Amino acid sequence: MTIAATPSDIQEARIRRADHAAALAKKRHAAEWRFKMYGVIAIAISLAFLVILFTTIVRNGYSAFMQSAIRLDVNFDASEIDPSGQRNSQDLWNANYPKLASNALYSVLGVNPDDRLARRKANELLSRGIDTQLRKIVLADPSIIGQTRQVWVLAHGNVDAFLKGAISRDTPEENRQLNNQQVAWIDKLTADGLLAKTFNSGLFTFGASSQPETAGLGVAIIGSFFMMFTVLALAVPLGVAAALYLQEFAPKNRFTDLIEVNINNLAAVPSIVFGLLGLAVFINFLGLPRSASLVGGLVLTLMTLPTIIIATRAAINAVPPSIREAALGVGASKMQTVFHHVLPLAMPGILTGTIIGLAKALGETAPLLMIGMVAFVVDYPRTPLESATALPVQIYMWATEAERGFVERTAGATIVLLAFMLIMNAVAIVLRQRFARKW
Amino acid sequence: MNEASPSVRADFDKSIPAPVPVHHGAGLTDVKIAAREVSVFYGAKQALMSVSIDIGDRSVTAFIGPSGCGKSTFLRCLNRMNDFIDVARVTGSVMMNGENIYDASIDPVQLRARVGMVFQKPNPFPKTIYENVAYGPRIHGLASHKTDLDEIVVSSLEKAGLYKEVKDRLNDPGTGLSGGQQQRLCIARAIAVSPDVILMDEPCSALDPIATAKIEELMDELKQNYCIIIVTHSMQQAARVSQRTAFFHLGVLVEEGETSQIFTNPRETRTQDYITGRFG
Repeated sequence: MTIAATPSDIQEARIRRADHAAALAKKRHAAEWRFKMYGVIAIAISLAFLVILFTTIVRNGYSAFMQSAIRLDVNFDASEIDPSGQRNSQDLWNANYPKLASNALYSVLGVNPDDRLARRKANELLSRGIDTQLRKIVLADPSIIGQTRQVWVLAHGNVDAFLKGAISRDTPEENRQLNNQQVAWIDKLTADGLLAKTFNSGLFTFGASSQPETAGLGVAIIGSFFMMFTVLALAVPLGVAAALYLQEFAPKNRFTDLIEVNINNLAAVPSIVFGLLGLAVFINFLGLPRSASLVGGLVLTLMTLPTIIIATRAAINAVPPSIREAALGVGASKMQTVFHHVLPLAMPGILTGTIIGLAKALGETAPLLMIGMVAFVVDYPRTPLESATALPVQIYMWATEAERGFVERTAGATIVLLAFMLIMNAVAIVLRQRFARKW
Repeated sequence: MNEASPSVRADFDKSIPAPVPVHHGAGLTDVKIAAREVSVFYGAKQALMSVSIDIGDRSVTAFIGPSGCGKSTFLRCLNRMNDFIDVARVTGSVMMNGENIYDASIDPVQLRARVGMVFQKPNPFPKTIYENVAYGPRIHGLASHKTDLDEIVVSSLEKAGLYKEVKDRLNDPGTGLSGGQQQRLCIARAIAVSPDVILMDEPCSALDPIATAKIEELMDELKQNYCIIIVTHSMQQAARVSQRTAFFHLGVLVEEGETSQIFTNPRETRTQDYITGRFG
């Protein structure tokens, strides 16, 4: 029996297919290449913006971490500080410390103490914060009275701006904040190694100030810390308990469906609305003090609650039903199953959700503006009920100032805030990896 | 005494099976569980049709039948695990130790300590081997001191035939054991609360033949002290391990009796057809 020949229509179709094959393949490869290019371009553009953002911030802000200071041999003259010899705290507090620094400066620069104009010009090289600086030294160690010590006193903001290039010696003298004599003095001090940029620890310890060289994030950091602590103490227990109840114990009816929809919506509400809520309820109705970190903390708690509830529900859902069945099968009650088995296994997810929620709350500005945390606070708040401010709000306040010192501090504070957020997110990722469970 | 079945030949294509007179475990002397007219509804759909059966103590009873016939559903009625399915509704009564376990006065949590369960896929807690076994006795207050708890853990592991293999690593995670060991750990966990009944829902279907053989051996030992009910897809397994067998089909208990009789000389045609492999 012979095998029949392939019918001609099949053969023709095969030939047609072969003819088109090369052209179709070319088109297909071109389309794939174009698609890949779109993807690469999109990523490249995003990365480019990210790089531009970070370089701009770092370029503007890295100089904020160094601050100009002058090394002076300050004579802690007992007749100025402690005339009675009793180390009376009133005297120690009210002594004329700027005079001590000025005297030391005059001797270094060779200024004639009778030349009033020269004295004034020399004083303009010193920061007004020297008063506080020297007072702190004396109060910390009163035995220093009567001795001469080397102190790096803060230079005036204009000196700092000059050293950082914001004030240029090429500008005509009448347009410059520093006259030629002062510039000459600055050059002399720099050459002698008496004027230099030192690490600006004040950025982290000072409170608000009208002078940039004495302004810092201290109050903002403490305010933010109080608020984060409030969020942690309130939002986490409330959120976890609410999610546990909704997920495990609540009956499944339309009412609970409504609650679930509303929680998801709350997570999307603009943050400034929470600020208005805080203003109306916490400040006007409950009468809590304005600008207090407690109020800020309460507002941020309300904002973070939906995030934590949603994260907790997802974590609880991820616990396999086999674990629950095993516990129930051995005679555990619903509560025992949830608290002994489900919750511990959901903990890593809850932790991650909490940290991410906290990181978001750390960066919130709009609601805090509404409840008045834009105050000019000089001293550290001792309790959450005292006026304070927050990191992002402090950035906002400094951003409105034109002075060079504040411009660099705005960017510097941004770097600090971004660093905090990076650290928190990194911790969240590490924790998530470490506790990733294999059932 | 064998009753003759009505001369109705049920057609496998029809969804409503013909009614069968109930065999209340003829020949059973030591009845542990007596189920009467148990029906289960998932919403409007009825999954179990009025099942009545007596189950004997200190023996192994096997439930066999094709997929979806209701044997697992009925098994879960015996420890009220169906309570956790919102849409499930159970009617009828299940008498154990003289009480109906569906009575309002019965605490289902306590019931599940008396009726233990081993699941198809081994599900040890993600805790240490010791903790896995100790959890049950601890929550039921069976041990006041650590030494008592240690004793219970060791004896349960021994009864489950696992102690020798794990005695040096009681603080290792339970999930680190092999599949067969995990299932024996789950059996030890169930035994640790000293139940009266042990329900096993296809306990060997996820295991290899060697592990399966070990567990079947274990069942043989355990039956001396516990009432064991096993749901199984494998007729060979049912023939090997059980003393009595019940055949379910489409939610109906078709036939129940001594294993040897069911497999060699079944009364019902449906049973005969299932056993000879005509369906299922």
